[in-house]
Amino acid sequence: MSIVTVQLGQCGNQIGFEVFDALFSDSHCPQGLCSKRENEAYQASCKERFFSEEENGVPIARAVLVDMEPKVINQTLSKAAHSGRWKYGQHSCFCQKQGSGNNWAYGYSVHGPRHEESIMNLIQKEVEKCDSLNGFFIIMSMAGGTGSGLGAFVTQNLQDQYSNSLKMNQIIWPYGTGEVIVQNYNSILTLSHLYRSSDALLVHENDAVHKICAKLMNIKQISFRDINQVLAHQLGSVFQPTYSGEGSFHYRRNPLGDLMENLVPHPEFKMLGVRNIPQMSENSLAYSTFTWAGLLKHLRQMLISNAKMEEGIDWQVRPPLSGLPTRGKMSLNKEFHFNTSIANLVILRGKDVHSAELGAFKDPALYTSWLEPVHAFSVWKTQRAFSKYEKSAALVSNSQFLVKPLDTIVGKAWNMFASKAYIHQYTKFGIEEEDFLDSFTLLEQVIASYCNLGF
Amino acid sequence: MGRRRRRRRVDPADAARALPEAIAALSQTLPAGPSPETFRRAKFDRPEAAPALWRLLFRVLSPQLADGASASFSPEAQVRSVKLALRTQGYPRRALAQLPDDGSQGGRELLLALAWLLARGPLPERLLTQNRVQLGDEMPVCECEALASPGPPAPSVEADGCVDIRHLQWLMGKLRFRWRNLMASQQEQCALLGKIHSYTRGCHSDRSLGHLSVTETELLRDPEGGRQLLQRLERENARLQAALEWRRRELVFWRWMDTVLGACPPEASQPTFLPRIPTPGTGALEPLVRELQALQGELREAVEARRAAWEAGVGGRGPEWSAARTALREAVGQDLAALRQACEQGGSCSLAQPHGPHRLVRTEAGVAGGPGLRAPEVIEALRSQEARLEVVLRQLQGQCRQELARLVGAPPGPVWILPPGR
Repeated sequence: MSIVTVQLGQCGNQIGFEVFDALFSDSHCPQGLCSKRENEAYQASCKERFFSEEENGVPIARAVLVDMEPKVINQTLSKAAHSGRWKYGQHSCFCQKQGSGNNWAYGYSVHGPRHEESIMNLIQKEVEKCDSLNGFFIIMSMAGGTGSGLGAFVTQNLQDQYSNSLKMNQIIWPYGTGEVIVQNYNSILTLSHLYRSSDALLVHENDAVHKICAKLMNIKQISFRDINQVLAHQLGSVFQPTYSGEGSFHYRRNPLGDLMENLVPHPEFKMLGVRNIPQMSENSLAYSTFTWAGLLKHLRQMLISNAKMEEGIDWQVRPPLSGLPTRGKMSLNKEFHFNTSIANLVILRGKDVHSAELGAFKDPALYTSWLEPVHAFSVWKTQRAFSKYEKSAALVSNSQFLVKPLDTIVGKAWNMFASKAYIHQYTKFGIEEEDFLDSFTLLEQVIASYCNLGF
Repeated sequence: MGRRRRRRRVDPADAARALPEAIAALSQTLPAGPSPETFRRAKFDRPEAAPALWRLLFRVLSPQLADGASASFSPEAQVRSVKLALRTQGYPRRALAQLPDDGSQGGRELLLALAWLLARGPLPERLLTQNRVQLGDEMPVCECEALASPGPPAPSVEADGCVDIRHLQWLMGKLRFRWRNLMASQQEQCALLGKIHSYTRGCHSDRSLGHLSVTETELLRDPEGGRQLLQRLERENARLQAALEWRRRELVFWRWMDTVLGACPPEASQPTFLPRIPTPGTGALEPLVRELQALQGELREAVEARRAAWEAGVGGRGPEWSAARTALREAVGQDLAALRQACEQGGSCSLAQPHGPHRLVRTEAGVAGGPGLRAPEVIEALRSQEARLEVVLRQLQGQCRQELARLVGAPPGPVWILPPGR
């Protein structure tokens, strides 16, 4: 089954390119550590999901590129074409000559309706190329103007037009010290709208990825390209093919559906975070070996202590003993607290994957009281190594990961709203104060629901 | 002219062989059929015969389970499932329900149960039809069979005390996703079948079919698979022959079953076997009865009051009234007819052709196909059934809304329930 990706705005398009590039590179990587036949099956599965066939054999990414200015799209198209290995469809992009000045309302109320037909037609064409449609990825930033407002509008349209298909939004969470003054307004409007029309929100935090680049990859001058590549690596480690079940050697046909069924069936809990281990520069790869036990131990502690990477993990954080209240109950003032999960998905790739021991992730203390580990925890595996890492593990988690950042953003946005700062920019284009209030209400409810997981 | 010898004297050795041969034939047609020796031991209620018969009944009563799947059920689970299935079908003998769950006893009772199932209908033939080797790409055209057979036993969940509503919401959401995933898988299967059928056009030796099915395509690609298919067909042939054999010899079996029944101790006369209703305690029944009586009284009063008010409001109107009354009668008559039709059609299938799975055959547009159903007819039937179900759904939703309003205590009007985030 195939996934169609909608790349929105500067952020979405730059990241989208890196994602397709990472997927393609991995599927053609010679060091798969598996038999030729297995490698071919892996390649075929990845190809069917993310690329379509063309006469001259160059795979075309199943993607629609949307932006309000042409610069980034043209760069993206040419980068892909120059690589010679894969490319974007000639007629798969939509762009205009004007930007939207980081104005969410303009993106949502003006650009959206004005260009709705063209954009949806492009998506429809891409969907028709698929034998069967698994669902959509929508890659967008949360805080900018084009990506966020237009992204919310497009997602809503996808909900209306393809109500049976699955939709996952890849959301780029802005830097805490971002440059856009109204980024918090944009963020809360985006999140509240997406919560209503999307099935899952997979959040990538710029701050976290930046740290990974600095500490783990040892990159001195971190560019957006580096950040996007780390992000693409994380996504690839989740969505590249995995076996369809314990003991099976056929590749899973519906990863998006399986993921959503296991992680986001509850309508109030849709926010997902992703972590993966190990993460290092390519130079260091050759000198490192890992055991599954070590990797999983670190990954589990990353989950529990809400660490973003495998360095600097706080090993003091422990699951609460049964019967006792959660250590450092979910009070957002405290520094350290235990991250309660609703559901987790662990994806293992590489050598001896079947010997990996996952009992520690099935500890009931990790999970909220109303869901048992047998329902809350799932694991995907494949022997085929990912992107030259002999062993790698990824974690997609529906847990309290994002409560603190969300609460921070809502708080800041509320403070601005209380003094009505910059509201006129939004009301000018049809986003009323009531829409803001609705967004605040919804997000407060989400925060409260996640906080109550510890009980 | 001497009297022609009517028939050869039956050789005693033949007579002795007839019963085991009949049982052997029966056993071969049934899945997991035990040996004739096991049957003999079961008549005398020997404990070693019981487990094999429990397994046989389990396979017979849940035919939709594949060979491997039944192994995942523990012996206790199999015993419970058999008891439940027999009870659902109305099996009258209480002694079977009272057999221990560990499956260690009860050979004779199980024999009787098997005979009861055999007597009710063409059981071996039905099982053979359901499990037959399929060469074509089969597709069900109606839901009758699926609805008629009970599914595999679900694990019973004890709802002890309060249930966290978040867990329920989680489960509902999971169900919805599974449904969407199923839809997507089915669409994918259709797309791929379409591709195979169009690519293999002209390859089939049978002109009326014209193209290959998935099984046939695999046959060409993979000789090992072809050998396995051949083995399955040969096994099926053997079972079909055993079924014919069984039909020729079954009289001997029934005579023997009479002796099995005779060997049973007389069962005390029991009233009709009622399903076990879990009662919270005998004390809870009294107030329930009282409440029921009170409600009935209330209902009677309410009906009387309504009727009196209606008659008072309506009485003595004259000729206008009789016209209105005839119109009312007509409307009620129409409603009743629609309801009756919905009841009749809701259950049964509206297709004229036989039910059960049909082989998918792709033809060129405009070419007259062979016998069998046309896709547009099936689609039409399914569409009208969908429309009927939509009507029923809306009625039920309306009832739910009224019920909610009643519980809330408000007069029936719009009840605003915000969808949870969707």
